[in-house]
Amino acid sequence: MSWHRIRTVIRRHAYVLWRAPHRWFDIAFWPLMDVILFGSLGTFIAQQSNESETAVPYLLAGIMLFHVLFQSQIAVATGFMEETWSRNLLNVLTTPVTEVEYVAGTAIFGLAKVLLALTTLSLTAFGFFRFDLGAVGWSLIPIALILTIVGWGVGIANIGIVLRFGQGAEILIWGSNFILMAFSGVFNPVEALPGVLQPIARVLPSTHAFSALRDVLAGQPLDGGSIAAGLAGALVFLVGGTAFSVAMLRTFRHRGYVTRFS
Amino acid sequence: MLEARSLRKRFKDVEAVRDIDITVAPGERVGLLGPNGAGKTTTLLMLLGAITPDHGEITIGGHALPRHRSRAMEVVGFAAGYLPLPDRLKVSEALGVFAGWYGVRDHRSAVRQALERFEITHLADRLCSELSSGQRTLVGIVKATLHDPALLVLDEPTASLDPDVALRVRSGLLTFCATSGAALLVTSHDMREVEMLTERVIFVARGEVVANDTPAAVAALYGHVDLEQVFLSLAAEHGRDER
Repeated sequence: MSWHRIRTVIRRHAYVLWRAPHRWFDIAFWPLMDVILFGSLGTFIAQQSNESETAVPYLLAGIMLFHVLFQSQIAVATGFMEETWSRNLLNVLTTPVTEVEYVAGTAIFGLAKVLLALTTLSLTAFGFFRFDLGAVGWSLIPIALILTIVGWGVGIANIGIVLRFGQGAEILIWGSNFILMAFSGVFNPVEALPGVLQPIARVLPSTHAFSALRDVLAGQPLDGGSIAAGLAGALVFLVGGTAFSVAMLRTFRHRGYVTRFS
Repeated sequence: MLEARSLRKRFKDVEAVRDIDITVAPGERVGLLGPNGAGKTTTLLMLLGAITPDHGEITIGGHALPRHRSRAMEVVGFAAGYLPLPDRLKVSEALGVFAGWYGVRDHRSAVRQALERFEITHLADRLCSELSSGQRTLVGIVKATLHDPALLVLDEPTASLDPDVALRVRSGLLTFCATSGAALLVTSHDMREVEMLTERVIFVARGEVVANDTPAAVAALYGHVDLEQVFLSLAAEHGRDER
């Protein structure tokens, strides 16, 4: 594995971010809109009932941490898609850069996008609603780590799906975020989901991360069990997503699908 | 430099490549020719590791595919006339990225030298998306020579170029091969270009090699004076029912 080539992947995507104003929607505009939406919703709930003063922190912390997963996922998946959108995939495949190096570059670049998005979220959440995510403290780190790894795993799996089924499958890159948001208990405990759906939520590592977040917001200590379960599940997602994508890449090369993208 | 043995590839019920052997010696310039649908591009993509053959072995610079694909690609430069470049990058940035992927440490210097070699330094600050098709093809060829590869693989390199630009590209390629000692494997439908660029040609039809010799010897073998006539007769003989 070559760090020089990984750095070059990062540079390639930094150029794209710099030159493509619509990419800033992901790290500036959508975070701003989410803070306004969920912060206002929390404020309204709090106004309806004195017992619901925690609504704003629950909703804003949830959406802010969800952006960690969201940004990590789309950075990896759209990093690859950038090569298909610009019909550059064959050019990349005929260089020495390996699949692992390419994904590593997009994942590392994704961390920069997470930081940029969190900066937007933090500034606007504090500016509009006086909510400071940093007050949660160091407990955020293991929670964010789980969500980052889940995002990478799902992003890598989405690359595999596009390799196998073509560009039409790219809808899943955005669709998978909505699925994860609905089933991970981003704003609510698993018990609030319809009973028949709860088993799905319980197997998602992101559910454990958001459950741990709510505990911390409620003033309880970080739940080591939730963190351990979330971390283990996140690693399963990463390994599983990678194994799936490797298999899809093998099919892609075997069936000559590269011609679809060139 | 390149050795491919018994390559076979089938896509569903189409046998794209039946049994092809290709060797390119260090510094040798070889043309891979054939009518549309003959299996040239599939063969090239197998040689580059982008398509996995059903059968056969490929070695580039002593590195066997697919296991050592990354090491093999370090010595290969690839360009195709039909391939665009990353559209949101400037030419110098796109070339710098490819130089980095090819392992070039001083990418700025490599990009400047490669652009000078083909006399297109004026394109360095243009966005790739703003280039004409001819300029894009030129930049693609520059991309393939950034890391002084031991083997250049070019698929229809001058297909979209004006005759004067195409001539400049051919001259540039010949100079590059002569000065760097690089081998060349090129596909083209321009038989005059092939006669100018290559020392040996491999004619492929229906996924098989039907001739493999110097351009003059292949022309003589088929009783013609040049490759153009050979191409036409082979296309008529082997390619008609494939199109």
